Amino acid sequence: MKQDRELAVPAVLWPAGRGGASGRAERKDGVAVATPAGRATVRADLEQVFRAAYPRVVAVAARVLGASDEAEDVAQEVFLTFGRSSVPAGEAVGWLSVAAAHTALNHLRSRRRRAGREVAAGAAPAAGPDVADEVVTLDERRRVRAALSRLPHRQAVALVLRHSGLSYAEVAAALKLSSGSVGTTVRRAESALREELNRHAPSH
Amino acid sequence: MRHPTDGTLRRLVDEPAGVADADRAHVAGCPVCLAGLAAAQDDAAVAGAALRVESDADVDAGWQRLSGSVAADPTRPGAAVHRGPRWRALLRSPAVAAVAAVAVLTGATAAAATDWLQIFRTEQVVPVTISRADLVALPDLSAYGDLKVIQAPHVREVADAAAAEKATGLETPRVGELPRGVTGAPAFQVGDRTTAEFTFSLAKAARAAGPTLPTPPPGLDGSRFRLSAGPGVAAVWTATHGAPALVVARAVAPTAYSSGIPFATARDYLLSLSGLPEDVAAKLRSFSGDGRTLPFHVLAEELTSAPTEVDGVPATLLRSRDGVLAGVVWVEHGVVTVVGGTLDADEVLAVARGLR
Repeated sequence: MKQDRELAVPAVLWPAGRGGASGRAERKDGVAVATPAGRATVRADLEQVFRAAYPRVVAVAARVLGASDEAEDVAQEVFLTFGRSSVPAGEAVGWLSVAAAHTALNHLRSRRRRAGREVAAGAAPAAGPDVADEVVTLDERRRVRAALSRLPHRQAVALVLRHSGLSYAEVAAALKLSSGSVGTTVRRAESALREELNRHAPSH
Repeated sequence: MRHPTDGTLRRLVDEPAGVADADRAHVAGCPVCLAGLAAAQDDAAVAGAALRVESDADVDAGWQRLSGSVAADPTRPGAAVHRGPRWRALLRSPAVAAVAAVAVLTGATAAAATDWLQIFRTEQVVPVTISRADLVALPDLSAYGDLKVIQAPHVREVADAAAAEKATGLETPRVGELPRGVTGAPAFQVGDRTTAEFTFSLAKAARAAGPTLPTPPPGLDGSRFRLSAGPGVAAVWTATHGAPALVVARAVAPTAYSSGIPFATARDYLLSLSGLPEDVAAKLRSFSGDGRTLPFHVLAEELTSAPTEVDGVPATLLRSRDGVLAGVVWVEHGVVTVVGGTLDADEVLAVARGLR
């Protein structure tokens, strides 16, 4: 059952929201991977790009998900897709960041998080080991993720990218926006996030 | 001079060098803009604090994991890297969610019922080709309501065919003759019956669609739909590199149930929201009138599909465009069977037609 889905619906692991990953194994600069099938290729610069960009890609996903183990899963998915793509090397970081944000947001929007997930993920509270503080912090983290998942997708992506350290120009290039629009989009996202957080704030 | 935009004020917060001198000079002397700037600073600080997270990715470990996955099977990204159950990732996928939504909302027009009413039983499957660009436009089902997994499949490996049959009640497919290069005994995996329930939420749909949300039909808000599938069993022959060389899987095909409004109504409304191009939506509508044809998604850039037959039963042959994967899927007596792997089309058809 598992396999039939994978065969029938291989697209599920493509980052939603980016049409740029359409390059396939036909890249001329790709290298053959040693498999018995021997017919698929991965791009030659995968390791170089991976080593340079992996921490940032994980950080983008972690910002969305609030948990680093799941963020690493997302990063793996994204790099696997990238490895088979023909995204120009110069656009790799932007593409990977957008793909990570999209994929993580899709995970976030549909999942029903199991209690204690963030504890298991080692998301330590900033303020000491006090248990009450920890509970408050976890509750806040859940509220943030819920609020983030309610933002319009594009706003959420722009917000996460900017707060992950991408410059306005990089966000603009990655999302095909003008630099001016990036500021507007991020501003709206921050305002909406704050409203969402206030609306769902604990009453005490 | 006109006030700079909110976007310009926002950029002043953290990238002031990117703002024109004239705008900066204006803001410095304008109480309205200064207030706007202060608000932008506040919101940015709140967002920054909310999104702060510790992340110390281990690059070497990450690369090891990735290169292992790539080497194991470059054609099925993520297949070897998921720690969690794959079905969970599948349900999260917008593509599957959208198709599931269509499947759930597909079927004969049923009158409102107080109890669960079966409105759909898969008797055949039909591929619907969707391009990646269209896929991007597909919404996440969770944007329109709540999807809850009532029964999880608990996919697990069992010792042998007998154990698989005992666990699922399904006859384990036996391959007559293995294709060249596929050897040894298969591993058997089973999954229990899976049920998911979707509750349509008008509030969520309104939030997703914004002011463009068409007026929903009466009774749609809060309508519940159930989709069940399984149990299922898969026999997996693994190649030396760890990826499945051949998979033969069989499962009780999906059925859908409703507790609410007529399905054609709900289906048409969902399709009008989905962002699908009209020709794809029309195709889905045309498949969905009989309550027995399950449309499933084929990504145009990845796969080709063609009609075929297995022992007289209509089937769909799928081939990856790079020629690495092939599979054939068909439904008979409410059971869906898939044969696929790193094989060519003739090989999977030979296996499918030789199943005992």
